[in-house]
Amino acid sequence: MDFWLNLKDELIRNFITGARWKYLADGLLVTLRVSFFAVLIGIAVGVVLAIIRSTHDLCKLSRFNPFLKFFINFFDFLSKLYLNIIRGTPTVIQLLIMYYVIFASVNIDKTLVAVLAFGINSSAYVAEIIRSGIMSIDRGQMEAGRSLGLNYVRSMVYIVLPQAFKNVLPSLGNEFIVLLKETSICGYIALQDLTRGAYIIRGITYSAFMPLIAAAVIYLVMVLGLDYLMKYLERRLRRVE
Amino acid sequence: MSDGVLIKVDNLHKKFGNLEVLKGVSTEIKKGEVVVVIGPSGCGKSTFLRCLNLLEEPEKGRVFFEGQDITDHKTDINLHRQKVGMVFQQFNLFPHMTIIRNMTLALTKLRKMPKQEARARALALLGKVGLEDRAESYPSQLSGGQRQRVAIVRALAMDPLVMLFDEPTSALDPEMVGEVLDVMKSLAQTGMTMVVVTHEMGFAREVASRIMFIDEGIFMEEGSPAEFFGNPKSERLKDFLSKVL
Repeated sequence: MDFWLNLKDELIRNFITGARWKYLADGLLVTLRVSFFAVLIGIAVGVVLAIIRSTHDLCKLSRFNPFLKFFINFFDFLSKLYLNIIRGTPTVIQLLIMYYVIFASVNIDKTLVAVLAFGINSSAYVAEIIRSGIMSIDRGQMEAGRSLGLNYVRSMVYIVLPQAFKNVLPSLGNEFIVLLKETSICGYIALQDLTRGAYIIRGITYSAFMPLIAAAVIYLVMVLGLDYLMKYLERRLRRVE
Repeated sequence: MSDGVLIKVDNLHKKFGNLEVLKGVSTEIKKGEVVVVIGPSGCGKSTFLRCLNLLEEPEKGRVFFEGQDITDHKTDINLHRQKVGMVFQQFNLFPHMTIIRNMTLALTKLRKMPKQEARARALALLGKVGLEDRAESYPSQLSGGQRQRVAIVRALAMDPLVMLFDEPTSALDPEMVGEVLDVMKSLAQTGMTMVVVTHEMGFAREVASRIMFIDEGIFMEEGSPAEFFGNPKSERLKDFLSKVL
């Protein structure tokens, strides 16, 4: 009996008194906002990088005119540099550099800084995932498209990318889960996300158990929801084959 | 364009790394001809075929199509490929699209044909190969022979001037080879210009207007089916025919 009374007291003290649950609720909104827009940036930039890299690797460049050849080689070099730097340094450092170095002298919304930092970080991983998908598609698919007279870009967009995307959907889902949880380091730039919200409650009530477990459960539910969504998408795309 | 020459191949060379696959191949293909290319595996017959729509780019030599040099970088290769239908050994249907979408994709995107018109045209072609009831199926739901028949009419939908066949029956179960060859035979009877790489000697004997034998990267011998099979001149060809017939 004592345990249950105690639990109830703890719940009230940590979440109800002074409407402390709002720290979690507001933090959750920040986490969702940052994750959502970071995923969008990650996909957009990632797809472009993946196409540059695989175009360079797959295409016989000899037929291109020298200008185009230089263009592709140049952008492939830039993409590799970008991928190495982003994947080779910790996300926290990237976030801190974004806030304290790049936007140091600008008064800018911290959420935007976080969205940019996480979006750029995720794009490197998404790029490699999509590239592996593109490389996994049989050469004959591109050849069949080209033999019908479709140009390279159209063959890529209508024929190769949809199949590649479907093949890498599980890996992409995984990347989104990682990204969602990675946003828990937003506190480093004093952005009040879900983790930071729980941390603030702990500072007020001096009890760690309730706020941290609550935050963990909320993350878990979000990840499970995201996982369900990805599995649903996978099933829908698999249905046609 | 003189004397109805559609394709002129002049001194074609192609290397893969250090391996010289084509060592100077020249020929002319006239309108309405059915040219069958045979030869031992690895002799370069597929490479020769793929050079005709520049899926492989030759190191040296030129390919003229309707008098235009397609190896010239200024030639719009995508426009050229619209006039050249190609059928692959592995079918290469697009697995994420229905059969009808496979066939109408290029029509709607390149010819800017209205959807209904493209659809009607695709259905008519499917009807010719007895597959109009599979229009809404996906490639994975079809047998190998059916897939290859779809691949043939997909290429035909673009109204090509010539059809290239790259070992169209080699990936098929034996009982499905006949249905594909039948489609090719009736296509030949419509007067379509065809270049066919195949191991089907029966098809070559029956349908070809000319047979070419490639070995060691050159055209060793060519002739009508009658002289080709009846009176082979080179030792290589005699040896090859004794193995495959």
